[in-house]
Amino acid sequence: MNKRWLMLTLAGMMIATACSNGNDGNGNPPAAGVDTPDNGEKQVEKASFTIFNAAGAAKDVNTNETTIGKILEEQTGVNFRLEHLVGDINTKIGTMIASNEYPDVLIPDAAIDKILDAGAFIPLNDLIEEHGPNIQRVYGPYFNQMTAEDGNIYFLPFSNLVNEFVPDPNINQGAFWVQRRVLKEAGYPEIRKLDDYFDLLRDFRAKHSGEDLTGFVALTHDWRFFATSNPPMHLEGYPNDGNVIVDMDTHEAKVYAATDSTKRWLKALNDLNAEGMFDKASFVDNYDQYLAKLTSGKVLGFFDYGWQIGNATNALRDAAIADPSQDDYRYFPLPVTFDGQKDQYLDPPGFVKNRGIGITVSAQNPERIIQYFDNLLTDENQALVMWGIEGETYERNEEGRMYRTEEQINKIDEAFNESFGFKYYSWNWPRYGGGSTFADGNSLGPGEQPEVFQMSLTEGDKKILEEYGVQTYAEMFAAPDDRPWFPAWGIPKEQGSPQQLWETQREELTKKYFPRLVLSTPAEFEAIWTEYTTEFGKLDTEAYEQWTTEEVKKLIEQNG
Amino acid sequence: MSAASTSKAKKTFRRYSSREDRIFDICNYTFLFILMLVTLYPFINTLAVSLNQATDSIRGGITVFPRAFTFDNYAYIFKENSVMHATMISVLRSVIGTVLTVFCSAMVAYTMSRQEYVLRKFVTIAFILTMYFNGGLIPNYLLIRELNLIGTFSVYIIPGLIGVFNLIIIRSFIDGLPESIIESARIDGAGEYTTFMRIILPLCVPVLATVALFTAVYQWNSWFDVFLYNSSYPNLSTLQYELQKILQNSNASMTSRTAADAFASSGNVHANTVTPLSIRATMTIVASVPIIMVYPFLQKYFVKGMMVGGVKG
Amino acid sequence: MENTPVGTSPLKTAAGKPAGFWTKLFRQRSLVYMSIPFLIWLFVFKYVPLWGWTIAFQDFKPARGLFDQQWAGLKHFEFLFQDERFLRVLRNTLAMSFINLVLGFVTAIGLALLLNEVRHIVYKRVVQTVSYLPHFISWVVAASLVQSTLSPDGTINQLLLWAGIIDKGNEILFLGIGEYFWGLFGAASVWKDVGWNTIVYLAAMTMIDPAQYEAAEIDGASRLQRIWYITLPGIKPVIIVLLIMQIGYLLEAGFEPQYLLGNGMNVDYSEVIDIFVLKYGIAQGNFSLSVAAGMFKTVVSFVLLFAANHLAKRMGEARLF
Repeated sequence: MNKRWLMLTLAGMMIATACSNGNDGNGNPPAAGVDTPDNGEKQVEKASFTIFNAAGAAKDVNTNETTIGKILEEQTGVNFRLEHLVGDINTKIGTMIASNEYPDVLIPDAAIDKILDAGAFIPLNDLIEEHGPNIQRVYGPYFNQMTAEDGNIYFLPFSNLVNEFVPDPNINQGAFWVQRRVLKEAGYPEIRKLDDYFDLLRDFRAKHSGEDLTGFVALTHDWRFFATSNPPMHLEGYPNDGNVIVDMDTHEAKVYAATDSTKRWLKALNDLNAEGMFDKASFVDNYDQYLAKLTSGKVLGFFDYGWQIGNATNALRDAAIADPSQDDYRYFPLPVTFDGQKDQYLDPPGFVKNRGIGITVSAQNPERIIQYFDNLLTDENQALVMWGIEGETYERNEEGRMYRTEEQINKIDEAFNESFGFKYYSWNWPRYGGGSTFADGNSLGPGEQPEVFQMSLTEGDKKILEEYGVQTYAEMFAAPDDRPWFPAWGIPKEQGSPQQLWETQREELTKKYFPRLVLSTPAEFEAIWTEYTTEFGKLDTEAYEQWTTEEVKKLIEQNG
Repeated sequence: MSAASTSKAKKTFRRYSSREDRIFDICNYTFLFILMLVTLYPFINTLAVSLNQATDSIRGGITVFPRAFTFDNYAYIFKENSVMHATMISVLRSVIGTVLTVFCSAMVAYTMSRQEYVLRKFVTIAFILTMYFNGGLIPNYLLIRELNLIGTFSVYIIPGLIGVFNLIIIRSFIDGLPESIIESARIDGAGEYTTFMRIILPLCVPVLATVALFTAVYQWNSWFDVFLYNSSYPNLSTLQYELQKILQNSNASMTSRTAADAFASSGNVHANTVTPLSIRATMTIVASVPIIMVYPFLQKYFVKGMMVGGVKG
Repeated sequence: MENTPVGTSPLKTAAGKPAGFWTKLFRQRSLVYMSIPFLIWLFVFKYVPLWGWTIAFQDFKPARGLFDQQWAGLKHFEFLFQDERFLRVLRNTLAMSFINLVLGFVTAIGLALLLNEVRHIVYKRVVQTVSYLPHFISWVVAASLVQSTLSPDGTINQLLLWAGIIDKGNEILFLGIGEYFWGLFGAASVWKDVGWNTIVYLAAMTMIDPAQYEAAEIDGASRLQRIWYITLPGIKPVIIVLLIMQIGYLLEAGFEPQYLLGNGMNVDYSEVIDIFVLKYGIAQGNFSLSVAAGMFKTVVSFVLLFAANHLAKRMGEARLF
């Protein structure tokens, strides 16, 4: 009889497992729904919604558990339960679409084309008309660009400029970087041409031949390969438009992956390699190995986008704060072009149209959500989400300029960002775009406020900036020209479109041939280049250029 | 055979071929020692990185010992309140999942090993074929949804109840048992259940321990089902899923231009105290140590082993 | 034996009368009860989702309903087979899979045999536990260890320098040479999983009757002879069954290690079917292509599986079914 019992117990366990949490089995995530009215002075009914954020990475929280979210809840009665994507975006979004069940609000990031295709977002036009005076003020100038072909607006992007533009004083975008000691030893020369830049590295390495230095490394790992394929565009004096250079007069988009610019860039690397200046392992190293090399102090120069090397530059900065002599090993950005033409490394104010936040067909009370969004877009609340609370996380001087004290700067670390809510509110909501300013002239982002930037500089930073006669790193670079289409890589492409296919093939081909071109002997270079261009000629590049040109022209008209 | 005669035979054997024996042993022990070094290294290295300051680890070159010792990486993981609860869920799914899987697999394997069972071939092939196809992500998701398993604990247990690989191993093992054992059970009038519970299960302990280990490891390590079905249900989150979250979080400002801009724009001057590199190492240790500790308990069943053959006599 | 209780024996049908299928089934009802629930489970969770295969013949978009999809005929299969790259990724998949199969079996069985010969029980346990540690390290971490070991300033190049096989400045870029990739992949896979793979063989060895060893000892058989004539035959059925199963997986060469260790320089040798499908299927929002590739793999698996099983049967060995 014993075994009977055992079998029964096991069967029982199975049934128990099958039924446990069965009360939740209807597929409704918890925390959604409308609560009973709050009997406070404000007669707002409390409501809670869900947001799925595929773009950011942070803890899943209720917004009203943060200081900012609590204040916003008091104003609107609305709380959001935030969920962030953990695994593959296409898988997660795919299951939502297949089951036609969505969170109330969705930030689909790169999968936005799938979401639009699925009709998962509700049109916002009427809601904005009725409940969105601030949305109209902030996004109004961009409505043209935000309107889909069917005449509806489905989501709110994040990069709409409000008021005057302030550039980021730091270099988050592309630049040719060089170790500070190289500049110091050469007497802080002005370097504008690629050849001068490489000569600078050559001289230094020759003088320090016993130190086992690497002249130049490149980042090629996985999707970060563009750090090696983009420079020809910048060297020609253009900003990062992705696969194309857009002519300023004719507005023709030209793919540069197999043009003379790219050839010149690769030939320069090929020469470096022949001299033993180039780190061969660049083409096999992973991202961590690359960062390790940058922090080793042995690498003299490289091209990259500032945002990709944050962990390395921060580590170097920390070391220099602990021991000022280490400042020599930090890197300094230079505006290098092929022939010293005007550089365009700094991003012009751009409008990224293929990212944003939208309300889904599953949302019960879209008007409450749009009201919340609208309420976010006041000057006061934008200051709240970016700067925080006056007297706590920022101060104002007599002229009304906003700044942070040393103490406040130190207080705001990762843990504070989370508990206060900066981490959850500073991006991925309807907002003033990066580089915007308030009506009173203060910067939207503390990072762009000159007063805050100055405080962040170390003695070494101040010295080198002084040597070059500039206040900020950005001043090393030419001011960005106006490009209404910028960034061309942000032009939405349809799922499985010929453009997407072309981009995949382009990447595959360049990844395969660039290493060969750089690492071959100088004598072989021409032959491999011919082979590469023949292969490249098989792609339908013309169609891609034509499509991009058309889209660019559309954008110019919309801005018109 | 009595224990005494066994040990006596061993002694005789030792005396006769001690030289050859010793050479073999020396080679064998040395080889295994080298193997141990090679397989231990990744773990030691990971441990060293996890105990090293994140900002220092970026420089690379950590091998066996941490360079700038710290517990910060562990503190970063365990400061999350969700981790303890998630660990509990992981333990629960590992225990329940393992018990049910082992029992159910053994039962099916037993029926598959009964030569006279008319459905034997059908059952066997029906199971084996499923190893080589799957309907795809979306159909599976829709099925789970139709069965109301989304947002439940059972979604961790039921869809993966029987692994065909496990089934086959158990069946091979049962096939290797002497038929006489079962026949004698029959003579005693035992039915199928009794034979299975009383005779087969106890004899299969070594293979069941193996399958239990496979299943426990599988259950402990899975996070894809959490991601797919239960990501909106924090109460059902598992350790591996929470660790994935923490990893992603540690990477936040370096994965895209926009995220980096947001970070820069916030005016935050503090360098990241954690990096994906360090967190990945730390979570490897956090997630693997508990399951590795299970091993010695199961090991005794198949290394020293109760010699099944011995039952024969 | 003759006195088996009449009628109650499920082992043999009553002598003389060949019982019909249903009669037999009824007699074996306890076995039926023990397997039918799981057959239903199998049907629901494994066979029902197979409707998803229709996706391969459609231009599938998740947004459209089940019946609103556009039919595409064999388009996706044609795309797959006509692409010249497909032949290359197929070759790579088969090659790496085969290497893995051979190396995986030989090393795991070899290690299990060696472990079985260790008399010192603590040493045996320690070695076994340690050898399976790399299994718990994700491929992401393992691949980065492999990358740093193989880098120009990594351990392997240091060793070669030290041994005078290469000169300073001529360090070998192992992962940059396509021809090396299969071998490196095989070695990395063995390193990661050899310990783990021994477990099942060690379990199988517990089945071997100790009396056989005792007899062999008395006959004066050497250590190697005992391994060859007793241990190996003892675990042969398990080996054969696992081998047949694995042969069915010949088009599954893994995905993560190739993806993580692959780069532009070795892509001609490192790209496997799954990576191809990721690039041109899933990343392009083309679910249909990945389903088509999955179906192709299934068909090949079935062919290989039945062939291997048949072969085993012909050779009089244990078989899968």
